[in-house]
Amino acid sequence: MPDELLREVDAEAGRLGTTRSAVLRGFADSALRRRRASRAAAMRTLLASDERHGGAAAGLVKTTRP
Amino acid sequence: MDASVILAAFDSDDELHEPCKVLLADEEVTLASLDLVRYEVANVAVRAWRAHSRVAPLLSAVDRIADDGGVLASTSVLLTRAAELAEEHSISVYDAAYVAAANQVGAGLVSCDVRDLVGKGLAREPAGMLGK
Repeated sequence: MPDELLREVDAEAGRLGTTRSAVLRGFADSALRRRRASRAAAMRTLLASDERHGGAAAGLVKTTRP
Repeated sequence: MDASVILAAFDSDDELHEPCKVLLADEEVTLASLDLVRYEVANVAVRAWRAHSRVAPLLSAVDRIADDGGVLASTSVLLTRAAELAEEHSISVYDAAYVAAANQVGAGLVSCDVRDLVGKGLAREPAGMLGK
């Protein structure tokens, strides 16, 4: 990790009164949560309109394989 | 997850439609898949559903998964492991590739394939993964 970035992380830890690893853990958790929320929102939009195709998805995957 | 989960989420006739739909929109789980999934969802939409218009939304769903946990590449290492799993469990290399991909990232595979994957303990049904 670049020294400059590490200094910023340490400064954040100092402001929050916590450790470097706690700050990094918080950043990672926050980034992953944002990523999941973004995917979930996009999926809700994509799946907004129900369409009927006869079911049996798992079987169709197999029967349409080359 | 394998292709069956995405396809079931897009087909309200599928008996596992609701749990698949909920899983794709679950903010508590990270979703990932294998590059094979793009071929398989497009193949079912065109050849089985006869619904070419569904290809783009299905591939968009795969892209969203790629932005989340990722869509793994079918590398030689992964497919070599898949071939071993296929032999061991008497399943196709296609199905085994999803199992190998899940193993590679240390995750559990989700599938609607009860006969070859869920029934053999190689995957879990979508409802079993909600909120994990």
